[in-house]
Amino acid sequence: MDEKEILQKIVERFGEKVLDAKVIGARRITVRVPPEAYKEVVSYVAHDLGLSFLSCLSGIDRGENLEVVAHIGYSICVLVRTSIPKDKPEIESITDVLPAASIYEREAHDLLGIVFKGHPNLKRIFLPEDWPKGVYPLRKDYAPSHPKPLRGGGGE
Amino acid sequence: MSFEVPIGPQHPIHVEPLMLRLKVDGELIVDVDVDVSYLHRGIEKGLEVRTYLQGLYLAERICGICNCAHSLCYCLNVEQLLGKEAPPRAKYLRVIVEELSRMHSHLLWLGHYFHTLGFETLFMYFWRDRERVMDMLELITGNRVTTAYNTIGGVRRDITPEAESKLRKALDYLEERMRYYDKVIDSEPTILARTQGVGLLKPEDAIKLGTVGPHLRASGVKHDVRLDDPYSGHDEIPFNVVTWDTCDCYGRVKVRMGEVRECISMIRYALDHLPSGDYRLKIPPFFKAPEGESLSRVEAPRGELVHYSISNGGTNPYRYKVRTPTLANILSVTYMLKSRGDYEVYIADVPPILGGIDPCICCTARVVITDEARKKRRILTLSDLERYSQEKGARRR
Repeated sequence: MDEKEILQKIVERFGEKVLDAKVIGARRITVRVPPEAYKEVVSYVAHDLGLSFLSCLSGIDRGENLEVVAHIGYSICVLVRTSIPKDKPEIESITDVLPAASIYEREAHDLLGIVFKGHPNLKRIFLPEDWPKGVYPLRKDYAPSHPKPLRGGGGE
Repeated sequence: MSFEVPIGPQHPIHVEPLMLRLKVDGELIVDVDVDVSYLHRGIEKGLEVRTYLQGLYLAERICGICNCAHSLCYCLNVEQLLGKEAPPRAKYLRVIVEELSRMHSHLLWLGHYFHTLGFETLFMYFWRDRERVMDMLELITGNRVTTAYNTIGGVRRDITPEAESKLRKALDYLEERMRYYDKVIDSEPTILARTQGVGLLKPEDAIKLGTVGPHLRASGVKHDVRLDDPYSGHDEIPFNVVTWDTCDCYGRVKVRMGEVRECISMIRYALDHLPSGDYRLKIPPFFKAPEGESLSRVEAPRGELVHYSISNGGTNPYRYKVRTPTLANILSVTYMLKSRGDYEVYIADVPPILGGIDPCICCTARVVITDEARKKRRILTLSDLERYSQEKGARRR
């Protein structure tokens, strides 16, 4: 299957649920779906289309919304993406469809505050234990304070 | 009575130090919990506040050993955003340095691996031969470890005829050595006893758990980014994807041995067919990337490396996501370390299994054994853990 066939199959199968779908480069497809259809589309791409491998899962701060992108496939990579509101950042976990997602979902939960419903072990993964609650470093409103230079930074 | 045995958390040369909390019943491991938080440096956030060229230097420092893979993946990503492609000569030069650094990583791993099994002679041999590779890297790129060779639009230096002939000599030497090592590994009973049947990972589990790299190929699954999603001249340079179907630590050794041999033949091919012309595009230090996104993947020594960036038309990336191969392999480690039914894992098997994915944590690991019933703590040092592993090797001899 090449990129166009895969794209066509996803669009045929999900019809209006697919908000936007296009080929963005050699072996790269992006598909935007509403949050309700996200898990279903991921499952279809991974198992019915046989791409089977979750390469990566990214979270992105888009201002009002948070975006979740699942990158699926060894050769052709399908980016299944969905947007969820920032004030209620909840989405269904895909760990039962793709077990590899468990570690990436913990990462997105830790750094962006996305809550994956149904994740078996959604706890902190990268940030230190004493990191303040409700502060998510990869959100755009988080501005890290710059550490003072050790020397030559004035005042010494 | 069950104990908790924490292993970790720090290792000075590895990108992701791990903390493994093992729950043991006697010597048998029954459950594992992994903590990968110890070296989170906020690089993804750091890349958002730097220009594309500044970001290259930060991306290169994500990992010491596979710095070449990171800088290559970063450059491919930014080039994709800009809609540009490196000239053919640069692509071949990139392959030469990429494969040299893969050889350096694999030889380092092999030496270290046999050290944890108690085979010091092979450790010395492998690391001595790795030095030849390091010399070649220094000769070509100017740097021994952090090569700083790839840049946006190509590479930073051309290869000289003198360096080429020295490189060919080093390749001949290494090929000869690899033949010898193959013989040793296949005939040495200690190695066979400590690796065969240890750390089993069936192909279907490997795929399900998202395993990547030599670790995946040792489970008999033929996936390699260089084959599946070729980049930078890999579609032109022929190579074999080395797989092994024993699904254990022995397979992981054999796959990496095979990959070193493939690296040698790929570098030879690249030198023979090196295209002429420019080795880099002229790209100004400050530029704005057009709006869009790009995903680049590179087969790093430890497996598939993913860089994903989103640009909003500015001088910095809007979001830069990096997924390193070790993170992808962690789940399979927790799976392999759990005893299930006939499959038994002992504390002495932790170094070979953990080492099998190439995170090299166990070598500086400090182990605390907590006896919950007696509320006693006993600290095992690195040498204790290694002694455990080496004594088991001696008993099998």
